[in-house]
Amino acid sequence: MNSLKYQWQICRAVAGVTYKEWSAYRTHSMVSIIVGPVYFMVQYFIWTAVYGDHSLLGGISLPQMIRYFGATALIGYLIMDFADWNLSMLVRTGKFLTFHLRPIHHRSFALFQKIGHRSLGFLFEFLPCLLIFIFIFGVDMRPASFPWTILSVLLAFMMNFYVNYTIGLTSFWLVQSNGIRSAFMLVSGIFSGALIPLDFFPHWLQVTQFFLPFQYIAYMPAMVFTGHYSLGGLELSIQQAVGMQAVAVFITFGFNELVRRLAMKQFTAVGS
Amino acid sequence: MKRYLEVFKQCMYSAIQAAAAYRMNFIISSLITLAGNILFPLVTLLIYRAGTSFPGWTLYEVLLIQAVFTMSSGLSSLIFGGVLWTTMSHIREGSFEVILLKPLNPLFFIVATTFSTDSIGLFLGGVALFIFSVIQAGAIPLLFWLQFIGLFIAGTAVLAGLSLMMAAMSFKWVGNSRISELADSVLNIGKYPLPIFPKAVQAVATMIIPVGMVGFLPASALLGRVQARDFIAVLPCLLFLAAGVWVYRHMIRLYEGVGG
Repeated sequence: MNSLKYQWQICRAVAGVTYKEWSAYRTHSMVSIIVGPVYFMVQYFIWTAVYGDHSLLGGISLPQMIRYFGATALIGYLIMDFADWNLSMLVRTGKFLTFHLRPIHHRSFALFQKIGHRSLGFLFEFLPCLLIFIFIFGVDMRPASFPWTILSVLLAFMMNFYVNYTIGLTSFWLVQSNGIRSAFMLVSGIFSGALIPLDFFPHWLQVTQFFLPFQYIAYMPAMVFTGHYSLGGLELSIQQAVGMQAVAVFITFGFNELVRRLAMKQFTAVGS
Repeated sequence: MKRYLEVFKQCMYSAIQAAAAYRMNFIISSLITLAGNILFPLVTLLIYRAGTSFPGWTLYEVLLIQAVFTMSSGLSSLIFGGVLWTTMSHIREGSFEVILLKPLNPLFFIVATTFSTDSIGLFLGGVALFIFSVIQAGAIPLLFWLQFIGLFIAGTAVLAGLSLMMAAMSFKWVGNSRISELADSVLNIGKYPLPIFPKAVQAVATMIIPVGMVGFLPASALLGRVQARDFIAVLPCLLFLAAGVWVYRHMIRLYEGVGG
């Protein structure tokens, strides 16, 4: 109990400091207020043209599709993460050493930083864009189930963090992990469902997504938001989908811990 | 003029030499960019695979628009891609004076010294996709090719103008690494057939921020889909580039040298 209280105090302190630190650059976050709606507008017109006389595409109606893109954009603001870049920088410069001297696990520190950073994102990216989507584009942004959507977004938040942290850990072997980061971002951008719902992919690719982390980051929380999840011919209730997402997060955490332990054996503190 | 050409040639040579020094990084970066380009039209492919389409446009016509867009982006990025990041870095560190002290036009110096070899993959990816989709278009008359070249150059001028405007913005919006996202979001409109957008968006994308010229209009010229009045849009493109140069030079005069 005392340990939990202690962790909570550290979380509040680190998240609070990160929030204040990034508040100085809040206008950077506010770029999303222009960029998000412009991307959304383009998607809106693309899909309106593509649907034409079709009532359903890939089993999704046009209003559902618009809601889907609204949800993926907003969820993206809540779960955005650069733990990979940060960890890579710390390893490359040798500054990771300082975390061995602190009475806190670096992964926890990075997670608390992300909580602070995304709290700022909630205020300066998520909320303004949500209001723009509702009042300017007239999109119904009410989730099918508030509690399950919040839980799913929280799991996506953790999933994105653990995956990115694992990518960052590759720096212990590669030192410069830019290449692997770019490759991952490229694949993730496509298979997370942020560009197009995964229902449009060939059946075998949809099935493959159950065994990869990408769909649990954007597609699944967005589908939980819309209240209907199906992929690769498998239809799941919202509860089942969130349950599967929780299992995926747990497995990813285990994998991350394994890689972290191996990575620590590689650490030389020299940098490059 | 001869001196400027000589400097540019030397800078290109240095950039290629630098890329050769870290050739593994160069090869991997180029391959990733190339793969990114192959995957970029994936959304279009999946849309057509689902049995629907952009009204009035075949799959290969849309791919042609996206190929021209990628080629234009690659070409612009090769020459102007590094201007934003270099300017931003100098402004943040307060070291832009280093450039102002050179016996050359500062804008030219930055353009020349930031020749971006990383963008070769982007350009080649666009060329590959272009060849693939233009073959499907059948025989194209010489006149259409000439029209295409003219409009392609105008589209590249728009991208250059956008790069300069974004870089100019970094003089006041110090250290904001997300400035480029502003341009990227607007450029998204140029990747698809313009008629799918409302008239107001079409007008803006042709006359005010002429992103329609980056992919849509040059591809339409190749397909024989442009009308005489569409060529009027070349004028705003050139004005856009001129505005980019003017704004950048104006912002140099406002440079304070304090960093941020």
